[in-house]
Amino acid sequence: MADIVTRSAPVPAEAAEFAGVSISLGAPLARWSLRARDAKALAKAVGHKLPARIGTTEGGMACLGPDEWLLRLPEGSIIPMGEGLPLSVVDIAERAITLVLEGPRAIEVLQSGAPRDLSRMAVGEARRTIYETVEMVLIREGAERWSVDVWRSFAPYLREALVTAASHLR
Amino acid sequence: MSAHRTASLGRVDRAATVNFTFDGKAYRGHAGDSLASALLANGVMLFGRSFKYHRPRGLLGAGAEEPNALISVDRGGGRYTPNLRATAIEIYEGLNARSQNRWPSLQTDFGAINDRLGMFFPAGFYNKTFMWPRSFWEKLYEPAIRGMAGLGDAPTDADPDVYDATYAHCDVLIVGAGPAGIDAALAASASKKKVFLLDEQDELGGGSLADPALWPWLAESLKDLAKLPNVTLLPRTTAFGYYHDNFIGAVERLTEHLAEPGHGAREKLWRIRAGEVVLAQGAIERPLVFEGNDVPGVILASAARTFLHRFGVAVGSNVALMTVHDSGWRDLFAMARAGLGVAAIVDLRDTVDEALLAEARELGLRVELGIAVIGVAGRHAVKAIEIARADGSGRQKIVCDALLMAGGWTPSVHLWSHSLGKLAWSEEWGAYLPDVPNENVRCVGACGGKWDFGSGLNIGALPTPRDPAKINAFVDFQNDVTAKDIALAVREGMKSVEHIKRYTTNGMATDQGKTSNLNALQLASSALDRPVQQIGLTTFRPPYTPQTFGALAGHAKDALFQPTRKSPIDPWAEANGAVFELVAHWRRARYFPKAGEDMHSAVARECLAVRESVGIFDASTLGKIEVVGPDAAEFLNRMYTNPWKQLEPGRCRYGLLLREDGFITDDGVSARMAPDRFHLTTTTGGAARVLNMMEDYLQTEWPDLNVWLTSTTEQWAVIALQGPKARDVIAPLVEGIDLSSEAFPHMAVREGTICGVPTRLFRVSFTGELGFEINVPAAYGRHVWEQVWEAGQAHGITPYGTETMHVLRAEKGFIIVGQDTDGTVTPYDAGLDWAVGKKKPDFVGTRSLARPDIVASGRKQLVGLLTDDPNEVLIEGAQIVADPKQAIPMTMIGHVTSSYWSATLGRSIAMALVQGGFEKMGETLYIPSADKTHVAKVVKPMFYDAEGSRLNG
Repeated sequence: MADIVTRSAPVPAEAAEFAGVSISLGAPLARWSLRARDAKALAKAVGHKLPARIGTTEGGMACLGPDEWLLRLPEGSIIPMGEGLPLSVVDIAERAITLVLEGPRAIEVLQSGAPRDLSRMAVGEARRTIYETVEMVLIREGAERWSVDVWRSFAPYLREALVTAASHLR
Repeated sequence: MSAHRTASLGRVDRAATVNFTFDGKAYRGHAGDSLASALLANGVMLFGRSFKYHRPRGLLGAGAEEPNALISVDRGGGRYTPNLRATAIEIYEGLNARSQNRWPSLQTDFGAINDRLGMFFPAGFYNKTFMWPRSFWEKLYEPAIRGMAGLGDAPTDADPDVYDATYAHCDVLIVGAGPAGIDAALAASASKKKVFLLDEQDELGGGSLADPALWPWLAESLKDLAKLPNVTLLPRTTAFGYYHDNFIGAVERLTEHLAEPGHGAREKLWRIRAGEVVLAQGAIERPLVFEGNDVPGVILASAARTFLHRFGVAVGSNVALMTVHDSGWRDLFAMARAGLGVAAIVDLRDTVDEALLAEARELGLRVELGIAVIGVAGRHAVKAIEIARADGSGRQKIVCDALLMAGGWTPSVHLWSHSLGKLAWSEEWGAYLPDVPNENVRCVGACGGKWDFGSGLNIGALPTPRDPAKINAFVDFQNDVTAKDIALAVREGMKSVEHIKRYTTNGMATDQGKTSNLNALQLASSALDRPVQQIGLTTFRPPYTPQTFGALAGHAKDALFQPTRKSPIDPWAEANGAVFELVAHWRRARYFPKAGEDMHSAVARECLAVRESVGIFDASTLGKIEVVGPDAAEFLNRMYTNPWKQLEPGRCRYGLLLREDGFITDDGVSARMAPDRFHLTTTTGGAARVLNMMEDYLQTEWPDLNVWLTSTTEQWAVIALQGPKARDVIAPLVEGIDLSSEAFPHMAVREGTICGVPTRLFRVSFTGELGFEINVPAAYGRHVWEQVWEAGQAHGITPYGTETMHVLRAEKGFIIVGQDTDGTVTPYDAGLDWAVGKKKPDFVGTRSLARPDIVASGRKQLVGLLTDDPNEVLIEGAQIVADPKQAIPMTMIGHVTSSYWSATLGRSIAMALVQGGFEKMGETLYIPSADKTHVAKVVKPMFYDAEGSRLNG
């Protein structure tokens, strides 16, 4: 029965194209929120390396806080859930969708509503921050490629805001 | 026509003619003109009527400080802006500008009667006169005074424009692109720093634009700056506020100067975080205070110089200067050398620098020392001035067609003050200068007191032989405050400048005292016979100049005002005709009317469908929290009122959450998925609040617990399937779960798949019927909903919304937190004693439940109400009384919290909070309303299937 299961997304699949930036819906991902006091024990339990510094990423694993990591893997991936251990692994695959901004002016579009200085974000850096009032996890995947994880119900607003900002580029 | 365009001076483009209108009359100007300079060039001296006395007013300044020439611009199509300064409006083809605060016209204004009656309107007049009777203020006095007093009319149409906004970061932010700001930018750019240079004017250059000798330097400097990749130049950008940690708000005007608006954003809000801020805002020349100083044609010397050398417009052909400062002489020399006719230089000082006198002699200018202007002839334009010494000697008339004033300079410390930088009084400047900074900021040029304007006197008002109480010598031009108003304020006991400001309105409103603060201080200082420093300085507040609401709102307009959250199933509801309501930020389907149905009949049909067959409901918006870790059960046991430790995996429990004060704050059904994993649900509106509260306790009270909280509200779509046929509908779709009542009882949870999608399937009910809540990953919510919908067709499946959900739960007496509770209701008040773990040593709120007033009798308690007339549906919120015949005001003993028509029961039902309600079972109470007094009996809040047989079917 699985082959006829259809996904739905809160934003159009079609990319919005502007001179210098495109805004599109990213591919579905497996996502987990990982929490633990003991990073080594957590790494062992889930079988993935944990970057130690907040804001850094390694192999799909982003360190978002002193005891918090976000793991993003291709759809269909599975990891151990750490039953009985002093840690927390929670499936949040569908809590967010990914918007991908690509192009030399993507940084300007994001900066229009993000208070953080994005020019100082290195490639590979991941930050939980906001765009105006909406929370997002922002990952700089390349010099001109940004991935924005945003909770599903806030995605239409965020996409509309980004598209509007892109339309104002001069 | 004394003011006129010169043949060749200035920076305007005489080859480019621009047509515009002012008060309906057509004029021509040139590209590069401000509205002020273009009108002056056409001989227009009269620009507005004053705020209170409706006195005719002309230009005082040439820039942002202008207090008189307030203008409305109507671009059509709702693009209307009042209270713009004529000096800050760039003209464009077709500009339609109008004067304000006059009727029927600027030349003939009936409101000018106030000027004749001025002696009856001193400062404080309105406060004293219109106090009584009090009730007249709102309806009569205030509207009448507002109608007369005046700024422009507020816009009435919706703003058609869109606005841009951005954050920006730089190493050095320089505010003001005059010579000091440009030098600072050049210096900072050499170090490869990221530099922003902003200026409120269309052309960068500040004061140097009025000094042709500096133009070659200016052109060269701007060319250099434009080439530098690390320098961003932002003309037409006003830094309006300076906030914590070098955060600056600025507005860039993008289309205000264009003949065709509407293409792209009108303005752009810049929210700039700067490493260092350099303020180069310059200084504003002070007017002098004497009788007649507001006659059109009396203008600041620096402004006259700007009009001549920047715009090529002479303010007169035979001008006089009244000065107490060297800078007035220098400005006049610069104009005289360019050919301006000069009537006389009048300086209050007995002696001035010999170099000034020599230059005046060389230019052949008449000089009068030790004497002052005591009056101005002319009402709509200057015809002559009268000068005299304080003792009345030397009195004579000088014919002239404009009078320049030079009262010294006030550094613009507005942004410095926003940043809470300290100020220090400078006797040399007669003004406050930046002293100790509070941020990483420095002031350069005139705003830092580092500019040589020469020297001068610090003086409140010019001496006059006339009675100071009988003359109109203006201090604050925008608010019509005179020197005698300040004196009156002091006589009436105001000693602090803050009190004087509020009593007289000096320095208020859009002007923020740019030209008036220091003169008012000097006058108060003289009147109180105390040094200026002891009188204080009023606080400058943002914005530096008025800004549009649109710019401040930025993107947050229309659809982007705030997010409207929608569930994954929302598109189906919309396609199937749902009527929606907003719950917190969520849009939820309220009911699904069929053709011709109103809410009442749709809800009745939906309710019966659930009770008789099966209904389907989108519960995705319920808050969800995944609680994971070895101490998960211990944590929940401490948070909720009821016991959680013994709950077996696979079972659900109703959780009641109190605040520390013992009152109900949230509730929801939660499931134990595994020994160390719980799936919590909260109310839709409470999701964020509950997560915050739990995190608060976890992080501050019990940091030792090994448990973590993750919001999963949006991970799961939730489809509630309720009704006797619910199991039949999903049976063919579910795999891996035994749905039989024995294997899967009420208040249980199972994991398996539905329609091929992994599910956490809850057997729970908020309706009293056999029911399931199907949790599936959100991306598949729509898919599973549609499959269940298909499968349900054979069973008469009916979609229902929040309204039906409310009725069905009320029939069962289930509370809705926030509707049947109001933050003052304990579990005992709500009849939820069963949900409180009596043997638990502690939970949040436990101690408060033992407080004397919580255990006292007579508290409001939740009961059911049944009206004697079953067709009467009470109004929610209606007050309840025990005796309807008592005198008004009656003693109210409670109110209706929930009230519906129950189609199931064929009658109305209601819930209410009533004092001592549990003891009033069977009693009759009364609910007075506008048309009649309703009569109802108190019953238990359980109207249907009290034994719960339907749940366990």
